[in-house]
Amino acid sequence: MSALIEVRDLKKYFKTPKGNLHAVDGVSFGIERGKTLGVVGESGCGKSTLGRVTIHLLEATSGRIFFEGKDISQIGGAEVKRYRQDMQMIFQDPYSSLDPRMSVSNIIAEPLRIYRKCRDEAELGAQVGRLMDRVGLARRLADAYPHELDGGRRQRIGVARALSLNPKFIVCDEPVSALDVSIQAQILNLMQDLQAELDLTFLFITHNMAVVKHISDEILVMYMGKMVESAPSGSVFAERFHPYTKALLAAVPVPVLGGKKERRLLKGEISSPVNPKPGCRFAKRCEFATELCSAEEPPFAEAKPGHRVACHHVKSINALA
Amino acid sequence: MSDTVSMKKRGQFKETWRRFTKNKGAVIGLGFIALLAVCALIPSVIAPYGFDDQLLSRRFQSPSGAHLFGTDEYGRDIFSRVVYGCRISLTLGLVSVTISCALGIVLGCVAGYYGKVADNVIMRVIDVMLSIPNILLAVSIVAALGTSFFNLMLAIGIGAVPGYARVVRAAILSVKEQEYIEAARSNGASDLRIIVSHIVPNCMAPIIVQATMSIASAVLSAAGMSFIGLGIMPPTPEWGSMLSSGRAYIRDYWYVVTFPGLAIMLTVFSINLLGDGLRDALDPRLKS
Amino acid sequence: MSDTILEIKDLVVHYVTDRTTVRAVNGISISLERGESLGLVGETGAGKTTTALSIMQLIPDPPGRIVSGEIRYEGEDLVAMSPARKREIRGNQVSMIFQDPMTALNPVLTVGDQIAEVVRLHQKISRAKATVKAQEMLELVGIPGERYPEYPHQFSGGMKQRVVIAMALACDPKLLIADEPTTALDVTIQDQVLDLIEKLMTGSGTSLILITHDLGVVAEICQKAAIMYAGEIVEYGTLPHIYQNTQHPYTVGLFGSVPNLNEDVDRLRPIKGLMPDPTEVPAGCVFAPRCPEASAECSAAPAPVVEVEPGHFVKCHKRRGGGSK
Repeated sequence: MSALIEVRDLKKYFKTPKGNLHAVDGVSFGIERGKTLGVVGESGCGKSTLGRVTIHLLEATSGRIFFEGKDISQIGGAEVKRYRQDMQMIFQDPYSSLDPRMSVSNIIAEPLRIYRKCRDEAELGAQVGRLMDRVGLARRLADAYPHELDGGRRQRIGVARALSLNPKFIVCDEPVSALDVSIQAQILNLMQDLQAELDLTFLFITHNMAVVKHISDEILVMYMGKMVESAPSGSVFAERFHPYTKALLAAVPVPVLGGKKERRLLKGEISSPVNPKPGCRFAKRCEFATELCSAEEPPFAEAKPGHRVACHHVKSINALA
Repeated sequence: MSDTVSMKKRGQFKETWRRFTKNKGAVIGLGFIALLAVCALIPSVIAPYGFDDQLLSRRFQSPSGAHLFGTDEYGRDIFSRVVYGCRISLTLGLVSVTISCALGIVLGCVAGYYGKVADNVIMRVIDVMLSIPNILLAVSIVAALGTSFFNLMLAIGIGAVPGYARVVRAAILSVKEQEYIEAARSNGASDLRIIVSHIVPNCMAPIIVQATMSIASAVLSAAGMSFIGLGIMPPTPEWGSMLSSGRAYIRDYWYVVTFPGLAIMLTVFSINLLGDGLRDALDPRLKS
Repeated sequence: MSDTILEIKDLVVHYVTDRTTVRAVNGISISLERGESLGLVGETGAGKTTTALSIMQLIPDPPGRIVSGEIRYEGEDLVAMSPARKREIRGNQVSMIFQDPMTALNPVLTVGDQIAEVVRLHQKISRAKATVKAQEMLELVGIPGERYPEYPHQFSGGMKQRVVIAMALACDPKLLIADEPTTALDVTIQDQVLDLIEKLMTGSGTSLILITHDLGVVAEICQKAAIMYAGEIVEYGTLPHIYQNTQHPYTVGLFGSVPNLNEDVDRLRPIKGLMPDPTEVPAGCVFAPRCPEASAECSAAPAPVVEVEPGHFVKCHKRRGGGSK
């Protein structure tokens, strides 16, 4: 089966006074229709930039993007606008992603107005009503303003807005990290229901390992702009071949007594990839690093069928054949 | 089939009005402005005399029943002149502010939203304008275009543009970073739509404050221009020129300058009250 | 003499504005032994931070007001204490780590001077000695002493939080309150900071109140936990009580809401509905409107506190029978 969206060797560099910031550096992935790719990593690993570049909110420095088999990496202007209907985004902060001066109904209706999807105001109203029902927002809130609502309801508005144009692909940039846990669960369930109902494809960006495991079919772990490990969701969590993935997962506090087996403290902190040196970007913090690691960039290769890892020593660390 | 959701802004006007009327100062301001507006529209009904009815025999009469505010050096009724002066002063304030507001918002939006080269060019021009004293700028514009009421308004308006441009640009720089702007872009909104329906409404507060303050300074600048002979020509009653011509008699006849001065002061004050009230009433977040 | 360092009894804190009264904390009781660590868990608006600020006697007044209750620190009631005595205790014997390390440090002072200042404020020692002490503190939290003359912007987020911890511990407090100390940090950095807090706690005899929304963090470094909801403690006990014999429906809901790394679930089981508006707390049990087990009696009267097993308290009508489940 072919992927709905596929990117190949995507790069996004930002110019900074100190040099080029390699925010996204050679990332490739494909997502099949109706599936979810979870992108995890710590702040500054380039995951948000990746999401924005994929849907043309930022222009890629290089690399190719295919949507339904068509190369859309070079499109501009009117064509971008056309593809925006198929590719939407849900934002992290339900407080700043909604215009405080617009009522709920107008926020949800805006994309419909931009694309002139409805003949008149009555049809628009009906459509907004349906969208509100779909995401579980009471219709009486249509005239409310975002600041009158709590975080969970605001995020539902964001979801409704993203759904309004019947997109095929949605980039979800940390959609639940600003929410309380009980609300988080409501929104995650909503997104899963919508995905099943509307055959949506998600690129789900988060720093929360538990959330990404819960919602994703495939997982991509990023570190300083690079792909570190990618595999089907279960496989990443069960096997975790890359030393960074191991450390990352070991660091997550688990709400179970004695749930944490080992403290595998990762030394040092993530730095920003400005004019990165050759070699593995994780080498400085890696307990297994050798000279080879700081000299040569590890290939992103299959360690097992369907499970790719960027590590020189993946075989010796994990005792693979 | 599901019924529709109302797309109207929920009694937006009613809501705003309710918030506005809660602010006593703003209501008083609005009341006084309304009074001035009536004076400006139908001065001949309100004023007991014409603005240029001279009677040299009644020069410098103290305020009395016949002449509420007294008379000036030509025996003209000061009350009538103040009433007629409303028209000139209000028009001048409103038109010049509209000119500067429109130009300033456009320049500020372009500079703030597009940034980079546009920002640099516009802001450097603004810096140059700011380095020229306002009155000098106005004098040169009027001198170049010729003395007329419209040119006066234009000159004063242009002088106030830098203030708006800077305020608008600063406001936009902070609003631009909000995620809802990015959200609008991801929904395919054009730049114009983003600026008009998201950015400008969210920058209203500083713009309104700037506008109310500059109406006041426009009235005062006009007075200054009239004083040096480039503004309103006598005998047209204009508060500023009344002040400047009455200045010579201030020691002996206090009322000649007091009443036009009070008119300017109260107008400025009530516009400020009105502006504060409007700013708060227009913000849906400040509802209680 | 008992070794209780902190005892809160029926604390009620309101924020009173012109028209509304926000009932932030509604009669909570906590007691903490020397060297013990308590996790205060709850969602936004549960009253966790208000509780912490009450202990620090830093409730902004107005609008905040401690309406009733006692906060006994080593037997002395903090609420009734003179302002001078409060200052003596605050920062010296009881200190607090704030959530956001980015704003908790003064950007124009060097980190070393900021730590030394705290020391000099509470101990009569010379500037030179304070400097030495500050360097020691930096070393203690894993920052080389040479970085004393650097400014906060030269530190990363995790490093700043270490500096904040060094500041809080500079006077060897007997009680440390940490308000979401790792929420703003990445997981690997969170791990480092938690490890540091845990190490510093053991051995020093300092008691800890850790405020968090993350049940995982509590499981790692606390001995007791109190679950807060809408200004009340709904469940209180040791970690095995809370994690292995979960009683209150809200706590059950919290556990069901978090996706778990170690097990697979197809669907999360969220708590339906929303936290009540703190200006209109429900008349009966505060959780009744969202509770799957609620019945008529729940919305009629406030829930009683039931001791379901020794040291395990649950505020729930349905657990009155002894709390088997």
